Amino acid sequence: MDPVDVVIVGSGASGAAAAWSLSRDSYLKIVCLEQGGVSDASKYPAHYPNWELSRNGEASSKPSERNNPADYPIDDRNSPISIANFNGFGGSTILYSGHFPRFHPSDFKVRSLDGVGDDWPFDYEDVELFFNENEQMMGIAGLVGDPAYPEYKKLLPPVPMGPMGEKIGAAFNALGWHWWPSYSAINTRSHGDRGPCINLGPCNTGCAQGAKGSVDVTYWPVALRQGVEVRTNCAAYKIAMDNENNAKGVHYFDEKGVRQFQEASVVILACSGIGTPRLLLNSKSSAFPDGLLNEHGNVGRNLMVHPLGYTEAVFDEDLKSSIGPHGCCILSQQFYETKADREFQRGYTMQVLRGAPPMETAVSGYMMRRIPLGPDHHKSFSKYFNKSIGIAVIAEDLPDPENRVELDPENCDAHGSPGAKVTYTLGDNTKKILSHGTSKSKEVLEQAGGQVTSSFAPVRDTGWHLMGTARMGHDPKTSVVNAFGQGHGVRNLFVVDSSIFVTSGAVNPVATAQALTLKICDNLRNNLSELMRST
Amino acid sequence: MIGLFLDTILPADPELNMPSGASIGIEAFVRDAATQTSIDEYFILLDQLAQEKFERPFKDLSAENRLQIVELSKRKNNRLANTIILHCLKAYYTNETILKNLPAGAVPPFPTGNILEEDDWSLLEPVYERGRIYRSVSS
Ligand SMILES: Cc1cc2nc3c(=O)[nH]c(=O)nc-3n(C[C@H](O)[C@H](O)[C@H](O)COP(=O)(O)OP(=O)(O)OC[C@H]3O[C@@H](n4cnc5c(N)ncnc54)[C@H](O)[C@@H]3O)c2cc1C
Ligand code: SF4
Repeated sequence: MDPVDVVIVGSGASGAAAAWSLSRDSYLKIVCLEQGGVSDASKYPAHYPNWELSRNGEASSKPSERNNPADYPIDDRNSPISIANFNGFGGSTILYSGHFPRFHPSDFKVRSLDGVGDDWPFDYEDVELFFNENEQMMGIAGLVGDPAYPEYKKLLPPVPMGPMGEKIGAAFNALGWHWWPSYSAINTRSHGDRGPCINLGPCNTGCAQGAKGSVDVTYWPVALRQGVEVRTNCAAYKIAMDNENNAKGVHYFDEKGVRQFQEASVVILACSGIGTPRLLLNSKSSAFPDGLLNEHGNVGRNLMVHPLGYTEAVFDEDLKSSIGPHGCCILSQQFYETKADREFQRGYTMQVLRGAPPMETAVSGYMMRRIPLGPDHHKSFSKYFNKSIGIAVIAEDLPDPENRVELDPENCDAHGSPGAKVTYTLGDNTKKILSHGTSKSKEVLEQAGGQVTSSFAPVRDTGWHLMGTARMGHDPKTSVVNAFGQGHGVRNLFVVDSSIFVTSGAVNPVATAQALTLKICDNLRNNLSELMRST
Repeated sequence: MIGLFLDTILPADPELNMPSGASIGIEAFVRDAATQTSIDEYFILLDQLAQEKFERPFKDLSAENRLQIVELSKRKNNRLANTIILHCLKAYYTNETILKNLPAGAVPPFPTGNILEEDDWSLLEPVYERGRIYRSVSS
C-alpha cells in the first residue's frame, strides 16, 4: 500500500468535515478508512409503507438491534443510558435528526463562570468563523435574531413548525419564556445540489429526499471530487508508532478481512466518542502498554452523553403533529444559562418533538395502557395520533472521570478486536437539571391546554451524543489532546470528533463538533508542511 | 385462528372507517414475525383459558368474551401475550390500507411528501422584544 499524506479513520460528521477541509489543498493524498458500508438512499425505509419497522431493525440506532457486521459490541449495562450510533459511510448523521444549535459563549467558560467542569482552551469567538463555514456546507435552516445567541449570519428559512408549533409557541409566550424555530440541518429550499425537505417525517431512518444534511450528501460529494479516497468496510484496529513517538500509520482489516497497513504522515481519528477511545486504547505496544495518548489514564474518561428527560402531552385538536421532520420544530433555551436561584449549575435546552407516527402511537399507547384492544381501540387511537407533542430536555452533562469507556476483550467485533464497555452514572447536578426540566416541560404543555400523558428521565435509549473521552486541554496530565486536537506527545496524531469536548453544553453536538474539526484542520493545513518534514 | 384473534383485538370501526385486522391480509406478517411455536403456544393458552372460564374453545366465544380471555392471557403469560399482540399491532399500523385511512400523510412518505401550511412567525415578536438572554463572557 503506497504511503499517503493523511489517513482519516471514520467517515461520520467529523471525518467528513476533516476530509473536505484538508482536500482543499489538492496536492495532498488523503485516504479515509470507514468500517461500515455505503447506505443506498434508493432503499431507505421511507420508500415503503412499513418504514416504521426498520426502526427496530436495520435503521435502529442500537448496534445490538441492527445485526450489521460493521458494528462493534458495546456493553452498556453499567449505564442508565444506552449508546446509540450508526457505523457506515456518513456515520451517525445517516440516522441523526439534524437538530443543529451551536454551543453558546458561556459553554466555553464553564469553570470560570460557574465553578464546575473546565474551561475550554479557547472562546466562542475563536470558533465563530468555523461555525459559519460549517453551517454553509451543511445547509442550516433557522431564523436569525434569536436572543439566546450572538447573531447568526445567514440561515435557510426555518422548518415549518405546523399547528403544533404554533400551539406550544403561544404557551411559551404566555409564560414569558424563550422559544425559537429549531436550527436544523435540513434544506428548506434547494441548497447546493440537494432538494428541499418535503416533510416525510422519518428523518431517523435516513432521508430519502436528500434534504437532511447527513454528511454523505453534504461534505462527502465535494471531498470525493477533491480527490479523497474512501475505503469502506475497512476497520482500523491499531495505530502504529515509530521509535520517535510519531504515528506511522494505521493497521486495518480490509473488506475481505485481510490485515492491511496504511502508512501516513498524519493520522486523524474521527471514530466518535466511543470509537476513538476504543482505537486509542487498543493501540497498545511495549512502549504504550495502556494504549496511545494514555500515559495519564485519561483516554476513555469523562464520557458525557446528555441525559434526556421526556414529557408528552395530548391535545383535543388535530395538530398534524406526526407530519414534518421529527426532531426539528422549535426549541427553548429559557433555562440554558446558570441562575443563582436554581439548585443546579448550568442548564438545558427544551427540544420540542413532533408526535409519534402510527405504529409507535399504537404500540406505546397499548404498552402504557392508554389504548385498549377491542371495540374501543380505534377511538382511543384517534385521541392520540397527530394530537401529541413531546418535549425532550437535553441536560448539560458535567465531566466525571468515573464515567468511562474501556476495552471489552470478552466481546469482540467481526475481526476479533475488543468491543467497548461503558460505565456511566448520573451526577447529582444532572438529576436536578432533569427534574427541573421535566417539571417545566409539564408546565408549558399544560399551559398549551395539553393533558400530560407521560414524563420521565433519564430516557434509556438516548445515548446519541458521545463526548469528552479524549478531551482537549493544555495540561497533558488532565487531557489527551491539545487545543489543536494534537495528541499530547504524538505530534502527528490528531483527534477531531466530539471526544475532544471539554464540557458538553446542553445542545446537540454536531454543529460544534464539526466547527471544531474545521478549526483543527485549518490549523493543520497551515502547519502541514512542517509536520510532514519532521515525521 | 390468527384471523379470529385479529378481529378480536382490532375489530372494524365503520364510524372511523377502519377495517378489521383480519380483513387486510396481515396474517402472514404476524406468522413470519412471531415464531410458529410461540403462536401455537399462545393459542393453546387462549383455548385453555376459554375452557376454564366459559367451558368452550376460544373460537366459539362471543367477541366480548374473547376479549376477556385475551386480557386474562396477559395476566397468565404477559411476555407471550404481548409478543403476539405487538406483532399484530405492528402489522396493522404499517399496512398501506390502514395508513391511508388514518390519514397518516403520504403513503409511503417518499416521494410524495407532505405539506404544512405557512407558519405565523409573528408569534416570535414577544421573544424578540424581551431581548438578549445569553450570558456575556468577558475574556
Ligand atoms: C438517532 C440519532 C439522532 C441524533 N440526532 C442528533 C441531532 O439531532 N443533532 C446532533 O447534533 N446530533 C445528533 N446525533 C448525534 C450525532 O449523529 C453524532 O454526535 C455525530 O454523528 C458524531 O460524529 P462523529 O464523527 O464523532 O461520529 P459518527 O458520525 O458516529 O462517525 C464515526 C464513524 O467512524 C467509523 N468508525 C469507528 N471506528 C472505526 C474503526 N475502528 N475503523 C474504521 N471506522 C471506524 C464508524 O463506522 C462511523 O461511521 C444523533 C445520533 C443518532 C444516532
Ligand atoms: S422530514 Fe425532511 S429532512 Fe426529514 S426525512 Fe423527510 S424530507 Fe428528509
